[in-house]
Amino acid sequence: MWRAISTWTAEVRWIFAKEWRCELRTRYALNTLGLFAFTTLIVVSMALGGPVGLSADARPFLAVLLWVILLFAATAGLPRTFVHEEESRTATQLRLAARPSSLFCGKALYNLTLIFALEALVTPLYLVILEIPVASPGAFVLSLLAGGFGLAVGSTLIAAMIAQAGARGPLFAVVAFPILLPLLKITIAATLAAVLGEAADMHLTLGLLYDAMLTVAGLMLFPAIWNP
Amino acid sequence: MKPIKKALRWSLWLWLSAVIWAAFFWAPPMQGFAGLYGESPQTGRIFFFHVPVAIVSFVAFMVAGFCSAWYLWKRTPGADRAAFAAVESGIVFCVLAIVTGAVWAQVQWGAAWTWDPRQTSILLALLFYGAYLTLRDAIEDPEAKARISAAYGALGIIVAPFLFYVLPHLVPSQLHNDPGSTTMSPKILVVFLASMAGFTALFFWMHRVRRRVLALAAADGDRLVDETTPDMEGLTVE
Amino acid sequence: MTARLTLRFENLHRGFGRLRVLRGVSGGADAGEALLVTGSNGSGKSTLLRCLAGLAVPERGTIECRVDGRALDLDQRRRAIGYVAPVADFYRELTTAENLDFFGRLRGVGAEAGRRLLDELGLPHDRLAGALSSGMLQRLRWAGALLHRPPILLLDEPLQNLDRRGREDVLRLLDEHLASGLAVVANPDRLDLGHVARHLDLDG
Repeated sequence: MWRAISTWTAEVRWIFAKEWRCELRTRYALNTLGLFAFTTLIVVSMALGGPVGLSADARPFLAVLLWVILLFAATAGLPRTFVHEEESRTATQLRLAARPSSLFCGKALYNLTLIFALEALVTPLYLVILEIPVASPGAFVLSLLAGGFGLAVGSTLIAAMIAQAGARGPLFAVVAFPILLPLLKITIAATLAAVLGEAADMHLTLGLLYDAMLTVAGLMLFPAIWNP
Repeated sequence: MKPIKKALRWSLWLWLSAVIWAAFFWAPPMQGFAGLYGESPQTGRIFFFHVPVAIVSFVAFMVAGFCSAWYLWKRTPGADRAAFAAVESGIVFCVLAIVTGAVWAQVQWGAAWTWDPRQTSILLALLFYGAYLTLRDAIEDPEAKARISAAYGALGIIVAPFLFYVLPHLVPSQLHNDPGSTTMSPKILVVFLASMAGFTALFFWMHRVRRRVLALAAADGDRLVDETTPDMEGLTVE
Repeated sequence: MTARLTLRFENLHRGFGRLRVLRGVSGGADAGEALLVTGSNGSGKSTLLRCLAGLAVPERGTIECRVDGRALDLDQRRRAIGYVAPVADFYRELTTAENLDFFGRLRGVGAEAGRRLLDELGLPHDRLAGALSSGMLQRLRWAGALLHRPPILLLDEPLQNLDRRGREDVLRLLDEHLASGLAVVANPDRLDLGHVARHLDLDG
């Protein structure tokens, strides 16, 4: 019986389901992400002094501030996926029972849903509070998807790395930012272009390209990170 | 040190000294670097140092990346040491590139840092190097240290081209609008290439020295361990 | 003659920086045998088991594992073992049944196997793993290790925290396992397991 191997997709599905089941019972990540994003949103709104619309002063900041909120909320809430496994000592069993590739995909998928949920919550609030009209909604949503995807996959990979190290808190930010900031630079430009109605194709393509490369790299590197 | 290595070392120093001299006294002033102080061709001489050093920091990045990937594939400790040494040496060139760039920008444009795309890229590269070293420091188990920092270093293979090539071309840059074709006069080209060669050689020499230091430290650690702990011959009792 | 089921390790070295934990350890077991590994704290018992489980890689030495006559690589070896150890825990937010369900599904095992083991070991199905006593947690570890009926059991201090009833239950399961499988048991002192064929003392 030990030789029976579940299919790869079944493993991914089960890991994804387990993540959400545990999360819904503790609500740790949801609370962290939500609270962090909401607090940062309030701070941003206070700093800008109210609705700014597309005024010339505010224009350079519109996209950046949204992504800063998302980036820092992600940094606060996403690394837990792997750190939790090591701390609660379930990592040992996972190493024996699950295939590395399905583990990576299951957890990345979980982080993806978290990030998209976060974006769905924060972005409308952001647009409404600051009264920002979006000229190209399609491109806008696409830029959020591209950036969110990279944030989730990159965070999953880096979380796996730092889970095996000590001093976890600031370590994640230090190690993750050089990987995530190049992508954010592109998606910030894409988001801004979408808000202003300018051409965002090149930026979106590059963002998706970075996402693809990050995913491939993650799939190739994760087994070495996870198993000795 | 063997005579031939001594000779090579001396020739490297001589080469670099010649490059420095030529950059200041032999090459003609660089035209076309208009800036704050009007036509200021003499300030353009920093070009002979700034650009090669920046290119070498990219080379170091890729060397670290490929050594990391090699380690993940073959698990030879030498590859891990090579990656580590490349990062340590690369950081020096990265900092030099940032500083020379800032000095040049200050003199030419009156502003040392403007978040020009290439400035941002090289700063992110420095952050990546720093993160690699921080990650190494945070992991105690030597096997995990090598393996996980190698995974991070290997990520550099995709991040570096993005930083050094893609990002700077996305946004038109004031400081770095590269002309389509390099129209360098022969003398300038010669000094530039000589500088390029000299700094590349300097990097690989630093890399080699650093690798040897790491190898000696590792061997020393092994020898110390072997000398102080007795072997347990097979203890099976049946 | 190639044995059908065998585990052999030779000259294992493993350390953490300057600290040497395993210094050239060798041993093995065949089907129906239990290898008992004893030694004081820090002698390397847990490290040895982790190397055998594929959770750590020895710096020097070889580990050879054959099942049904075929040699297994590292990934296959990981799947072929059941591991009971203090460092193997469960998700505190899930119940015992949900935990076994999860790990069972990953290994392609249905939910009934988990429930059956829970019953055999006297564990409730609906208790959250975080609410288990240490003795019940130890029984759950045994359940997790036997879920996929592996040919090889690696047991690190397998009787800790168990009451007399618990000890009887797990030793019975170990007996059943040793009918066709093999086990490596690490414990600070000698244990009376009934099947101990070999003994390796890391303090010697």
